[in-house]
Amino acid sequence: MNMGSGNRARIQVDKLYKTYPGRHRQSVAAVEDVSFSIREGEFVALIGPSGCGKSTILNMAAGLLPISGGSIHIDDQPVLAGQVTPRVGYVFQRDTAYPWRTVARNIGFGLELNKTPEAQRRRLVDEFVHRGGLTEFANAFPLTLSGGMRQRVALMRTLIMRPEILLMDEPFGALDTHTKLDMHKLLLEIWQEERQTVIFVTHDLGEALTLSDRIIVLSARPGRIKEIFEVDFARPRDAVSLRETRQFADLFSRIWHSLGEEFMKGRAQG
Amino acid sequence: MSSTRRSALFINFWRLAILILTLGVWQWGWEFNHWLVAGLDKHTAKMLTLQILDPFFISQPTEIWQRFVELGCLRDRAGNWVFSAAGKGFIGCLGKHPENLWAMTWATLYNTFWGFFVGVSTGVIAGLALGRSDTLARIFEPYIVAINSLPRIALVPLIVLMFGLGDLSKIMTAWIIVFFLVFFNTFEGARSVDRDHINVARLLGASDWQITRSVIIPSTMAWVFASLTPAVSFSLIGVIVGEFIGAEKGLGKIIIESEATLETADMMVALFVLMVVGVALAVGIRRLQAYLLRWQAHFNHTF
Repeated sequence: MNMGSGNRARIQVDKLYKTYPGRHRQSVAAVEDVSFSIREGEFVALIGPSGCGKSTILNMAAGLLPISGGSIHIDDQPVLAGQVTPRVGYVFQRDTAYPWRTVARNIGFGLELNKTPEAQRRRLVDEFVHRGGLTEFANAFPLTLSGGMRQRVALMRTLIMRPEILLMDEPFGALDTHTKLDMHKLLLEIWQEERQTVIFVTHDLGEALTLSDRIIVLSARPGRIKEIFEVDFARPRDAVSLRETRQFADLFSRIWHSLGEEFMKGRAQG
Repeated sequence: MSSTRRSALFINFWRLAILILTLGVWQWGWEFNHWLVAGLDKHTAKMLTLQILDPFFISQPTEIWQRFVELGCLRDRAGNWVFSAAGKGFIGCLGKHPENLWAMTWATLYNTFWGFFVGVSTGVIAGLALGRSDTLARIFEPYIVAINSLPRIALVPLIVLMFGLGDLSKIMTAWIIVFFLVFFNTFEGARSVDRDHINVARLLGASDWQITRSVIIPSTMAWVFASLTPAVSFSLIGVIVGEFIGAEKGLGKIIIESEATLETADMMVALFVLMVVGVALAVGIRRLQAYLLRWQAHFNHTF
């Protein structure tokens, strides 16, 4: 394996399979023979029709689901279900802000768990509350926040732990277009500074193009890699003006065709 | 706004009217009834007499007030207010009459509190343990179903037999009722903890104990708190029933004794105090809930 600093594979997925027990003692394949590797500091989007197993791959990488076949290595360590890999942060699609904790206490939750000294914790919480644009709401309960703000709380709760690897499962899937663009700006800003290695699962092609360096297109169930596209737009990117460029439109339509066939198949299986 | 003010006035007017009407009928209804049927022949008069208005059964507001001030040591038998110069003094009266209203109320409240406290704490612990462990839940399920399907009140004579006429039997009665209520709520709550809430904590490096403490318990607490209002009422019911079956003191004892001695005024006094106690406990718990669950939507604007 190439261990050069810029090119090191931080995440290595080899011949990954996932099957679920189905009816009549037959197992249903959700993910089939998926292999890819992700370099240090690379932002990769996994895209495909719903039910293609993209979230399944992410959950296996996070150790939330057992692997049926093949392997996932993070920093050359095999990922095992039920075991948390340090330095990995995870953001869910669903609103997972704890309703009984204020915004600040949600964001500081991980630091409470690892018993970070009070003073340092407070300083970091202040910083991330600010970065998330949540200063006014630091002492509010999530109940009083909009969906977008709650997702920012969840994002900051993950980022405050300084993860080197970020696994994101359609984190902005439930947000409206405008809020989504805001979140893209915020994420791009943070990524530009910290250069985490990211796997970003989405079914929104525009989002994948805006954010990522590479897009892995998965086929309809069972999920296999269909095609991989390099996204070589210059960085830093602007989430809004990027969408108006020629390159964006060209790449969009190329991937759209590849993806379109899978969406049709996905619908037929539906 | 004037329209809401007017409607508040309207509501209060009718509330007051109903109160006055009820008290009026209670006080003078029997006499009025007799006056109405005065000229009629015996048979018709009897038919038109509402037995329910007989002060023998329902007493009268003035009579009840009279007994209240006496039982409550506010006025002595001679009719002097205890706080006046001729009176014998409130504390002295309390000492001389160990069966005064306040001692009885205190006994009931004391047992209600302990029944509630012990019932809620054991219910929460058992609910969390069984809610988080499928093995335990499956082992205990038939026993819980069996005991729960037994009307708890049927156990009261046994409890009094086992624990005597003192406080302990009342606390046990309240406990056995409150326990199951809180247990089932906690159990449901512990089972319905959001999986992703647990996953978030796990991915942030939480240990099993940390997950229990900072995810499972707080999210279950919403269910526990929701059971507190009924729990306090149930506790009061348990204590009163325990006092009916056999007690040395308590409001339930006043009630059951006045049934035997046909002193309905005394019974009414105990019932009114019980009503006030019930309302006070419920309001207290509601406020506590509103504070503890201020992060939840439907509690956000209560009070």
